[in-house]
Amino acid sequence: MIEVRNLTKYYGNFAAVNDVSFDAHSGEIVGLLGPNGAGKTSTMRMLTGFMPPSGGYAKVAGYDTFKESIEVRRRVGYLPENVPVYPDMTVRDYVMFWAKLRRVAKPKQQVDAALERVQLTDRRNTLVRNLSKGLKQRLGLAQALVHNPEVIILDEPTIGIDPQQVIEVRNTVKELGQDHTVLFSTHILAEAEQVCDRILIINNGHIVASGEPAALRQQIQPGVQLYILLGKHTPGKVQQLFKAIEGVKHIEQQGDGYVLDVEPGHDVRADIATQIVEAGYALLEMRPLAMTLEDIFLNIISDKDYA
Amino acid sequence: MRGTWLIFQRETKQYFTSPLAYLIAFAFLIITGLIFNNDLTLSVDVKPANPAAVPNFLSFGMIFFAPILTMRLLAEESREGTLELLLTAPVRDNDIVFGKFLSAWFYYSVLLALTFSYQFILISITSPDLGHAISAYIGIWLYGGATIAVGLLFSSLTENQVVAAFLSGTTLLFLWLGNIAGQVITDIEMARIVRTLSLQGHFATSFGQGLVRAEDIVYYAGLMAVMLFITIRIVESHRWR
Ligand SMILES: Nc1ncnc2c1ncn2[C@@H]1O[C@H](COP(=O)(O)OP(=O)(O)OP(=O)(O)O)[C@@H](O)[C@H]1O
Ligand SMILES: [Mg+2]
Repeated sequence: MIEVRNLTKYYGNFAAVNDVSFDAHSGEIVGLLGPNGAGKTSTMRMLTGFMPPSGGYAKVAGYDTFKESIEVRRRVGYLPENVPVYPDMTVRDYVMFWAKLRRVAKPKQQVDAALERVQLTDRRNTLVRNLSKGLKQRLGLAQALVHNPEVIILDEPTIGIDPQQVIEVRNTVKELGQDHTVLFSTHILAEAEQVCDRILIINNGHIVASGEPAALRQQIQPGVQLYILLGKHTPGKVQQLFKAIEGVKHIEQQGDGYVLDVEPGHDVRADIATQIVEAGYALLEMRPLAMTLEDIFLNIISDKDYA
Repeated sequence: MRGTWLIFQRETKQYFTSPLAYLIAFAFLIITGLIFNNDLTLSVDVKPANPAAVPNFLSFGMIFFAPILTMRLLAEESREGTLELLLTAPVRDNDIVFGKFLSAWFYYSVLLALTFSYQFILISITSPDLGHAISAYIGIWLYGGATIAVGLLFSSLTENQVVAAFLSGTTLLFLWLGNIAGQVITDIEMARIVRTLSLQGHFATSFGQGLVRAEDIVYYAGLMAVMLFITIRIVESHRWR
């Protein structure tokens, strides 16, 4: 449904998107995960036909996003990062405007259905300027899906809204994924894992890793970090105790707690628990540390030669 | 075509619901009303009533009205980011520009039509030269279209409405002053060129006097075409930034 080959975008001499290739199939939710300035928005803008690529090409439903831009635009729903709206229109008029502009066959039904889908039906006569940020975000979603497009492109749709709204937006995205191809960008790893069928990690304009969330986690996380908090104890002895356990690579003390780097494939939790208790210390806490996006990039970058 | 119509509709609805647009309409009608009233008073003993009084005034007034009418049109789209959505909707870039231009011109036409009421008053009390009035109205309608096209161009250049209004007002003032400059410049060739390019030079001595000349129509139509063409290019350039 989406076919991207060697897509490149230069701003002056600066390559914001550099030789990016990927596919997204029908009914798939693909996440574009990357930090600020990674090139997510630039990639999406080329896919929506907003701007032409400097090199390579992108196709949506078989149409080139630049040469057959109008065909592409009919088949794509797009929610830009800043959620643009016309403040002086009512919710319903706003969605109706985009529906008609995108040649929806039965605008009335489609608009009502879109508003229903994002739960804005009871606000349909409200002026857009009076909507809260979260509701505006949903209005933006309604605009992006009102013409029932084959491909929906959402640029960081959960940014800047409260946790409850974030959950609702994520659920809507997941629902949309059942009958549309969704391309979704975020800089939150947990969000990408939760929402997407497949994740592309992008940094400095390059795709540095990709795959299904579980597989990707294996690939990018070459081991596990454990955080252990003990009651009163002698640090030297405990360090020795940890070192003796097979699979522990590295130990770092943090106050009364320890962060252990564990090699992949070893589950050392049972060993640690028994030994600590046998040594007569109190085990107050033991939990795996979640990897942040920064950790992932450090890992990937040290693995490969992307600097 | 369809895109032009939908954008025209949205903009026009905005004109007829926005408080600012009503304020503009209010000012427009008050000022033209005063002009008419003043002319009528003079006609009692000083001179005959001028059936082109309102159009004559507007040939100056549009320097202020056109920028205010048009400043929002594209500057707001680009500031709010809705331009990005328009540029990814299945409409052509010229649909966007035409729709907006036609809407502003239409709104202006409605305001202009409201000033016909002064003509009816005039007809009821004296017998004005209707040919003169009609030619002046045709002229000021085209003149208004051209000034609106200039305003739209500047609205596409910036995200800031005030800046857009200021720039288009200044430009229109120069285009208007061209006529006076043309009268002052001693080099005859130069003066002719300056007057040919000036907005007022194609109104005051022709439409304003009851003359409809093809060259003046061509001038205003040409100005509109050039301004719209440049505006379309500027809108397009958002794709290359
Ligand atoms: N119009 C532009 N002109 C020049 N540089 C640009 C332009 N747009 C983006 N860039 C640069 O290109 C890089 C990629 O930007 P892009 O907006 O695609 O990143 P992003 O992944 O969407 O980031 P964010 O998470 O901040 O939205 C950034 O370094 C940015 O500064
Ligand atoms: Mg972005």
